[in-house]
Amino acid sequence: MTTQTDLPVLLPFTLGSSATPRRKACLLRPATWCSILVVAALAGAATANASASAAIVSGVIPTMWKWAPLVLQGFAFNLLVSVLSMAIGTLAGLFLGLAQVSLYGPVRRTSWLATQFFRNAPWLVLLFYCMYLLPFEIEIFGLTILLPAWCKAVIGLSLPVMANVAEIVRGGIQSIPLTQWESAEALAFSRRQTIWMIILPQCLKRMAPPWMNLYAILTMATTLVSLVGVQESMTMTRAALVAEARTDLFIPMYMMLLALFALYCYPIARWTQRLERKFAVRD
Amino acid sequence: MLKSVARLASLVACAATCFAPGAIAQDTFAKVKERGTIVVGVKNDYKPWGFLEPSGKIVGMEIDLVDDIAGRLGVKAELVPVTSANRMEFLNQGRIDLIVATMGDNPARREVIGMIEPPYYAGGSNVLAHRSAGLTEWADLKDRRVCAVEGAYFNRRVTKLYAPELITFPAVPEAMNALRGGNCIAFLFDATLIESTLAEGSPEWQDFEMPLVTEDPQAWAIGIRKDDLSSPFGEFLRKLSEDWHASGTLLALEEKWGIKSSPFLQELHDKYKTQ
Repeated sequence: MTTQTDLPVLLPFTLGSSATPRRKACLLRPATWCSILVVAALAGAATANASASAAIVSGVIPTMWKWAPLVLQGFAFNLLVSVLSMAIGTLAGLFLGLAQVSLYGPVRRTSWLATQFFRNAPWLVLLFYCMYLLPFEIEIFGLTILLPAWCKAVIGLSLPVMANVAEIVRGGIQSIPLTQWESAEALAFSRRQTIWMIILPQCLKRMAPPWMNLYAILTMATTLVSLVGVQESMTMTRAALVAEARTDLFIPMYMMLLALFALYCYPIARWTQRLERKFAVRD
Repeated sequence: MLKSVARLASLVACAATCFAPGAIAQDTFAKVKERGTIVVGVKNDYKPWGFLEPSGKIVGMEIDLVDDIAGRLGVKAELVPVTSANRMEFLNQGRIDLIVATMGDNPARREVIGMIEPPYYAGGSNVLAHRSAGLTEWADLKDRRVCAVEGAYFNRRVTKLYAPELITFPAVPEAMNALRGGNCIAFLFDATLIESTLAEGSPEWQDFEMPLVTEDPQAWAIGIRKDDLSSPFGEFLRKLSEDWHASGTLLALEEKWGIKSSPFLQELHDKYKTQ
């Protein structure tokens, strides 16, 4: 009698089949995904309009089309915020992660504390702190630097990104076998050389998938900045709803926003999965 | 939760500004002229006072007032969309020079910022409700589910007096959608917005009404930093505000934006006309 399983060791051996069923079931094909979105959008629009008159129904698509440029503009701003926060967070996180494997106790402990603090604080609370604690203008040597709200939002979002990247870097470094360190030592590499030339290059491929995952999460979290008064796609959608003053638009408009984020983040998720699979086989 | 975080953050921010007095020491009047722009905090989600056009431009009655201020100063107006939760922080941080954003004048706010008198409008609170809810007086709200918007000044008063079960939303569209979805029996908000919603005659609101007597009139005033109150900048805005009433500018704008004519504006018009 055979039992259901996806463990390769329990399955009959066949030549050339390396992919396990579990992996195949992981993700839907892009075409399937797109059709799900379209159906969901239509369903949302349909329920919203169920009670409204036919005249209103016919106006939904043109109205959404009318506001689409503005929402897209807001969405582009979300992407800008996500890219900037990711860049700043990655750079800062790299050093924070390296500090966590430092040979000096105080450096190691301080960086560990900072990482734990920013990693476990709610993103929105960090945003609030940055918005209201950072000044609007900074004067350095008589030079006035303006710090508009969206810059503060970028800083606010890059803090948790920094802490998460630090953990990714630390985990990556610690996943490299100790023998690599020992061999480097034997070949007279300094510690700095070992890290930058031997350990980090090997970590890169292991760190890429979680890093991309983090980016996708960050992109979706950029809508949080609407809560601290920065104008982005979420605020634009809301303002459009106010200007139209029609509740039947509510669900379709937010569905449009959802679709934008899903269409942007989904390829990242797929790519991440592909990288994971690729590296998993080689390791 | 969110509001308490915001409140905590604003407290901390107030404390922080005490230690950074140099940032806004310069007179706003001179600063605006030198810069060539006046930065104004406005609403972009409050029809017909300040709302968006599909082009991305903010328009509305308050925007017309801002344009008048900028025109008389001979500078350009830069509009910064603000919310009820962040406008006073933005002002005190120096990010904006003044607030023209449907802001009610009350003692608690006067502790933090300065208010220009005379006010340019007065709003009151009321509810939008389905006819079948059968509301006739404010006391009918007791223990019923009422939708509201976070940060609105009348939320606290209404909760205290009439004890409804208040469900708050981040913005007007969400709250109105919840009302239509039957999540609450009424939507508590500013009477002008409810009036203009009903006046549009859209079929989706034909079964709804504004059943109660508008209560708690609140004057809407231009907000400036406290130290600007006694400066030429504050003086200029006070004079301008009086002129708006005397010349009938506000009455004309009210009609232009389809706002139900308010006795308050008429009263002030008569008062300043004779002076």
